[in-house]
Amino acid sequence: MNVSDRILVWFFVLVATPAWSEVFLHWKNAALPPAKELGLNELVFSWNDSLSPQVEAARRLGYRVYVEVPLHRASSAAETGAAGLEGIILIARQSETAELEKSLPKLRLDYPKLRFLVLNPDGKLPQMRGNLIIKRDSVLEVSSPTAQPWIDTNLALVRIERRSHPEQLPLYTFSWGGPSDSGQQQLAPTAEDYSLAVAEAGAFHADLILELDERLQKALSEHDPEAWTLWKHVRTYASFYAHPGEQELEAAANVAVVVDDLDTSDEAMNLLARHNIPFKVLKPANLKSEHLEGFDVLVVFAKPDRETCERIAEVATHGKTVVLVDAHGSYPWQKGNSVRLNEHAVSYALGSGKVLELSEPVVDPETFAQDIRRLLGTQSVLINVWNGLTTIAVPYSERGGTVKVLEFVNYAEEPFRVQVQVKGSFASMRYETPEHECCEPLVPVKHNSFTEFVIPDLWIAGRVYLEVDQANNAGAGGVSPH
Amino acid sequence: MRCDNRRAAALVSLLLIASFVHALENPVLVYKKKYIMGTVFEIAAYDHSPEHASKAIEKAFQEIVRIDDLFSNYKPDSALGNLNRSAHFHTEKVPPDLYRVIEQSMQFSRLSDAKFDISVAPLVDLWKAALRGDGTPTPAQQEEVRGCVGYEKIELTPPDQISFRSPCLQLDLGAIGKGYAVDRAAEVLRSLGIRDALINAGGSTILAMGSPPNQTAWLVHLRDPSNKIDPQVMLKDESVSTSEQTAATLLGNDSAGHIIDPGTGMPLKTIFAVSAVSKSATVSDGLSTTLLLLGPTKGRELIKNTADVSAIWISQNAQVETAIRGPEIRFGKGL
Repeated sequence: MNVSDRILVWFFVLVATPAWSEVFLHWKNAALPPAKELGLNELVFSWNDSLSPQVEAARRLGYRVYVEVPLHRASSAAETGAAGLEGIILIARQSETAELEKSLPKLRLDYPKLRFLVLNPDGKLPQMRGNLIIKRDSVLEVSSPTAQPWIDTNLALVRIERRSHPEQLPLYTFSWGGPSDSGQQQLAPTAEDYSLAVAEAGAFHADLILELDERLQKALSEHDPEAWTLWKHVRTYASFYAHPGEQELEAAANVAVVVDDLDTSDEAMNLLARHNIPFKVLKPANLKSEHLEGFDVLVVFAKPDRETCERIAEVATHGKTVVLVDAHGSYPWQKGNSVRLNEHAVSYALGSGKVLELSEPVVDPETFAQDIRRLLGTQSVLINVWNGLTTIAVPYSERGGTVKVLEFVNYAEEPFRVQVQVKGSFASMRYETPEHECCEPLVPVKHNSFTEFVIPDLWIAGRVYLEVDQANNAGAGGVSPH
Repeated sequence: MRCDNRRAAALVSLLLIASFVHALENPVLVYKKKYIMGTVFEIAAYDHSPEHASKAIEKAFQEIVRIDDLFSNYKPDSALGNLNRSAHFHTEKVPPDLYRVIEQSMQFSRLSDAKFDISVAPLVDLWKAALRGDGTPTPAQQEEVRGCVGYEKIELTPPDQISFRSPCLQLDLGAIGKGYAVDRAAEVLRSLGIRDALINAGGSTILAMGSPPNQTAWLVHLRDPSNKIDPQVMLKDESVSTSEQTAATLLGNDSAGHIIDPGTGMPLKTIFAVSAVSKSATVSDGLSTTLLLLGPTKGRELIKNTADVSAIWISQNAQVETAIRGPEIRFGKGL
């Protein structure tokens, strides 16, 4: 490596973003290896009233200990365990939002030395999704012509959590679950499965409580070499996303999704993620204050009130496209020119933009996501990923600036050659993975207002640092940082 | 002490025998999935040894990867890629699998009066851009590309030589390749002693080997765009494939589709999804596309002359047409 390469490597190391993600280990086994050996410091126990000796033992082994409690037991957990605990993780379901908003500030005030984190316990098992539904002693199959693999991703959940709890990184967990068929062999998660879970949270800049299989916990405690080989692999992934940096980057997006709750739009957002359409989640109330200039398309799942309607009209008038899903009612733009696109969709011209009203909920999220991509148009798409149908790419930029970092997660858990096209003109780009230290140079090829490059073999996770070509980057802006 | 050891050894032996007997009585289901050919392949297999089933599934996946390396249109070094580059007015020797699948494809072309045609690749490429929203090809562009299409321009010389009597003919095995790969994967499983398994190629082709324990066959629910009928079929050593045109756009007034009608040179317009059941996955895969292109009237005529085949056409508004010369197709609701 020559001097200029070394300087560049250090440049990229120095501009690395702050700790993007922390992995908290949920531990159940009685024995516990020291934190130094596990390589992670954040440990989570489920709360019970006689937890103190366990907490103390874990602290002696070098852990920062958290307890996971339902919201209604948070005060008693804080009271009893305040001395030895690093923090309290509040399990808060969507139905408890109002109660959480009321009690969280009080808890923080009453126990200033404790860290209070809000956990979304409803994460999905990240995976490439099949469509066999396995039941007892038979396989029930829905034959579908869908040739595109779908993936289960937590990106939508992370985006919603970020909006709901802006004071902390989104924190979620999921259950490994698995088929319930009594005849099916219950396989423990593999190193790749754990690594994918860690990579997903890391790439989305979220914290994760990782459930370790109890057999693995026991084997690690007993210094089983196979278990430790597995764990070292996972640990590499956790480290990859934990390194601190000095530059604050935020997720870039030019599509905004306005939702009241996740249920109605969950699969639609899952498919937006799968089609690599970077999106930001807004609540209807956010529309009043949010700067919407950076968005090219606004997708509204929430029923709009008068103020939301005004904002929608304003956005469309300024040349943007607003898609109103399951829209029923009278809206101001309906007085203008309209074109019926099909049985369920009407387009209303408004200023230099338009409002598209869809009279039904999204019944085909795959087609809906493709529609949103078409509405963006080829010139406004932030990122294209070819031949990587199981890959999600998440762009990050400085506030209001161009994309600086691209995070990649491959849910197929095996190496693929991935071709990428990113909006903007970039002079150089470097690639790093958990397996290989920073950085391998990639060859940028400029094509109109995009830069193309190839990742030779993306296994589970990878990160690309992009250096803007200052001379040729006039068209690269316009993304809304999250 | 020695007595205790003997007792312990006897107890361990008894436990081992008991678990062996239990395993013999209750085969274990092992399930794996892998991304190949641009889709998710899934295999669920019963066996008394989960380790053996697991290894057999891995071998079956390897076989699908091998077929993909031959048939892929995306891998420049695939056997099909080489053929598409160099067989124009030139005879090329090809691997037996490629020869076999092209030969079978041409049989479908003859049966369907050229509605099924693997030489439709240039038209597929032309319309891909429209599918992405980049605008419709002009009539002149369409006409030019249609001149490159026609299965009769493929010349097969047994056992393994192929040439194209056209300067621009290109083959695309998208309508039959996955089915062929599924058949080869089933062969691998059988050769390794797996009798009861289900192989699913992304939902579009499913092959059932044997049956689950204590069952007569595998229950498979078929694609139902109306969500009103729930068509089902019981499969034992049979395969089902489904074909359907790309869904219409929800937010637009026109949309191309990925299935091109070689007769018109344009994306097929149909209200139906078709499922076809057959003894082999290659046949069910090729047949489902053929029947979609033919429609129910002509499709039924084709099936009249084909043994052991069943088919169902279902529209979004629950219009149902069937042709049964093989397994019965039942309806879970409606009708």
